Amino acid sequence: MNADERDLVEGLRALSSDGPCQAPAYIEHRLVTEFRRRSRLRRARAWLSAASVGAIAAVIAVLLWIGPLAPRRAASPVDSLAMADETTAGFYPLPDAEALPPVESAMVVRVQMPMASLELIGFPINQDRASDRVEAEVLLGQDGLARGVRLVE
Amino acid sequence: MLESPSHASDDDLLRLISKGHEPAFVQFYRKHQRAVYRFALHMSGKTEIAEEVTQEVFMTVIGVAKQYDSKRGSAASYLYGITRNFVLRSLQRERPYVAALDDAEDDHSGLLVSGHDLLGDLTRNQQIESLRKAVLALPPAYREVVVLCDLNEMDYAQAAEALGCAIGTIRSRLHRARALLMEKMRAAERCAV
Repeated sequence: MNADERDLVEGLRALSSDGPCQAPAYIEHRLVTEFRRRSRLRRARAWLSAASVGAIAAVIAVLLWIGPLAPRRAASPVDSLAMADETTAGFYPLPDAEALPPVESAMVVRVQMPMASLELIGFPINQDRASDRVEAEVLLGQDGLARGVRLVE
Repeated sequence: MLESPSHASDDDLLRLISKGHEPAFVQFYRKHQRAVYRFALHMSGKTEIAEEVTQEVFMTVIGVAKQYDSKRGSAASYLYGITRNFVLRSLQRERPYVAALDDAEDDHSGLLVSGHDLLGDLTRNQQIESLRKAVLALPPAYREVVVLCDLNEMDYAQAAEALGCAIGTIRSRLHRARALLMEKMRAAERCAV
């Protein structure tokens, strides 16, 4: 390294120690807030999936307990769709529900869910009450996957 | 909430972050924010870009920590890779403004002059300012090696890992970048005289 290059490296070292050397505190605050929001959403999503599975298990258990039902006339596709339309009214779609097959036969289960889960469907919520529980109905498709949520008055 | 162990490696922290562990995220952020911020600042010459990039980099970490694979490189090089992409994107967006840097007042170019050696301090500050402008005028491929090796004091191997290229490439780019800087500084001196 010649003298010019040494001077240059020295100058670069001075430049390195000049000016702000770390991000301002507000960035950490913003990031932590965003981290919390995403963690809550992740928990809510996991909770909704678990609630769907639990509800299906409960319905199956009830059906098994009642015993075999009397044979019924198979519903025509038109009947199924009409029933689904009527049943699905007032439900707010869950994220990714559009990617699922259309609802042909629906099942509605009533559950209690944390207020934080409502953020999933775009409801503004009071963060202080995020852990409170609300009563809601979950719409399950023929495949048992949750399609939407409707709040119970 | 559980505390993340102070001796946790970056891999451990990223695994915990992907599970929603807030203290792990805070620890990871505090450990790396300085390097990310300084890289963005020296590459762009603007504090607002450096702040925006720092925020975007760690937002990305929150979103994709699960996809991090330590077999493909260290967490530091993973972070530099993300930072570099954001910086280059910002520079492309800001190109007209960056080109005009020579005429513009830089936002951290305020001269901090102490009373004891006014002329000496002024000269020193002017030299630093000229050097900053010279660094910012380098093509990005040369600028990033100067920022990593000379300003952030990384060794060649670390810089090669961060930029995903061979050590020889770093060495030759740094050599060329320093030559360009010396040329620019000599030209600036001639203009000053």
